[in-house]
Amino acid sequence: MNRNGINPKIRDLAQRLLSLESTAENLSKANTFAALMVSEKLRRPLSTLAGTAGFRSLLMRALTLAKREAPVLDGVQVKEDGSLEGLDGEETEAGAVLIAHLVGLLETFIGEPLTLRLLNDIWPDLSGVDMSSKGKESI
Amino acid sequence: MKEHKGVRINKLPSGVPGLDEILGGGLPEFSFNIVAGAPGCGKTTLAHQFIFANATPDRPALYFTVLGEPALKMLRYQQQYSFFDAEKLNNAVHFINLSKALVDGGLQGVLKEISKQVEKSDARIVVVDSFRSVLRSEQHDGREMAAQVFVQELALLLTSAEATTFLIGEYGESEMEDNPVFTVADGLFWLYQQVERNSVVRKLQIMKLRGQMSVPGLHTFRITDSGLQAFSRTLGLMARKPKAAIKKRLSTGIATLDEMMGGGIPQGDSLLIAGPSGTGKSLLATQFIAAGIRVGEPGIVAVFEERPEEYAGRAATFGLDLETPLEKGNLEVIYLRPLDLSVDEMMQEILDAIERTGAKRLVIDSLAGFELALAPGFRIDFRESLYRMIFALTGKGITVLSTLEMVESFTELLFSTYAISFLTDDIVRMRYVEIDGQLRKILMVVKMRGGAHSSDIREYRITSDGIDIGDCLRDYTKLITGIPTRTKGPQH
Repeated sequence: MNRNGINPKIRDLAQRLLSLESTAENLSKANTFAALMVSEKLRRPLSTLAGTAGFRSLLMRALTLAKREAPVLDGVQVKEDGSLEGLDGEETEAGAVLIAHLVGLLETFIGEPLTLRLLNDIWPDLSGVDMSSKGKESI
Repeated sequence: MKEHKGVRINKLPSGVPGLDEILGGGLPEFSFNIVAGAPGCGKTTLAHQFIFANATPDRPALYFTVLGEPALKMLRYQQQYSFFDAEKLNNAVHFINLSKALVDGGLQGVLKEISKQVEKSDARIVVVDSFRSVLRSEQHDGREMAAQVFVQELALLLTSAEATTFLIGEYGESEMEDNPVFTVADGLFWLYQQVERNSVVRKLQIMKLRGQMSVPGLHTFRITDSGLQAFSRTLGLMARKPKAAIKKRLSTGIATLDEMMGGGIPQGDSLLIAGPSGTGKSLLATQFIAAGIRVGEPGIVAVFEERPEEYAGRAATFGLDLETPLEKGNLEVIYLRPLDLSVDEMMQEILDAIERTGAKRLVIDSLAGFELALAPGFRIDFRESLYRMIFALTGKGITVLSTLEMVESFTELLFSTYAISFLTDDIVRMRYVEIDGQLRKILMVVKMRGGAHSSDIREYRITSDGIDIGDCLRDYTKLITGIPTRTKGPQH
């Protein structure tokens, strides 16, 4: 990822994470619900690793970047404990953008192998993932 | 011999090359250790090397971070080191941030969280980084007792849990006294980063290590892409056998010089070749190495004044093939010129090369270049360090030939400018003399500790085949002044 946008593979990875969490019956709300679930599932291990404040600052940065792409996220906020507030059914695609930025920031800071390791710990079904824009294998 | 009946303490590898030897074999299992020093001196990296060397899924490590370097940035930087194994993350090595526990619950909150995590994971290695941050939260307004109780409880908890512990803290030496942390600790490692003129020198000291003998004193270390590497001030040879009485003589590669030396250089001797620039010291050293290669004795050449690739090329101009042994691995040319080198570090390089090549011969070309490559602080101790190094190497049976550049005086003959003659077993002196309007060269064997040697002063020439030693200049006196007087034939 760079400062101007998200690597398409990371965007695809985010979408895949959402699909793994997408169990809502109401399809219009599926992505929103999934984005909340992905964020929540990332919150616990990342708060353990980086502290609550560490995870919160990472999510806030991801939200700031996502709002530039998806202004519909303007009403969304990160609470003190690092959970999301204000993400509802209106932001169908925006949830994926937010998660993509969150994963992208992780990849920027700690690199692809460690990021994938963290994600695999949470979603063991996630396999064959390549986050590099030059990678051969698509998600 | 008295039978040892005490409890046997397992020693864990530190993961830092050279450190286990300083520790006396490794880090005592279940020990409660402090790693102290100023910011930037390598404390966190040392702890990481330890955990990645020892942690397994069955014996996991917990790395607690507290109000210091953000964990994500720490991972970002630490993964640049070659010892970092991403596969161990969240598998054998777990990073846990304690900031919230500290802010919400103070020292007791931290203790509770560590206890919970250690119990949950059955951790056998625990690191708290920075422990100083934890204690600072309570070390004010007469709350020192709370900190002391906390340290005591933490030590009890982690020892009972069979964990080997590292507490990392930014401490100054002045804080050593009356500090409960240092009293409770089994091991105290102090890392220093000293600026000496324009050089930075890193040193470490094992100030305390319960249960085993560590090597006292300050040991230099370096931080490279592989992490910390320590260089014991015993030069890695403390436990090795002393020099044996070996009578074998090694050829210098110059038959006449061997003759003058009473049959060559006694194996395991240290030979000094001293003389001014251009007299052929390096050539003599190269012939010595080449002669060894010819009879199956691998060699090492430590050069400071020319690059390794130039060395073999220059030898070839004298008909000496060093390319082949270099390719085969029975010759290594070590080129070190970092400008903040320590003798211990140089010694480690040589020992590693000896291990790789099985070398019997070593050339140091030259001592002046070697001294210049040292950090200024180490130059003060150059004689002492050189003595330790030569003593250690010759004790292993390595024959060491060192060259020494001399500023020529035409009134007297100096053996060396370093007053290091006593360090060497044998000395060959080369010098210029003025004869018949020509600048000619003479050499003499000044000292052979191992026995008799020729007292001749012989003229020599540098030819395309190397050094060619001629006859003794018997028709002259005052040769060693450089301005001789002819005693027979036409007078000057």
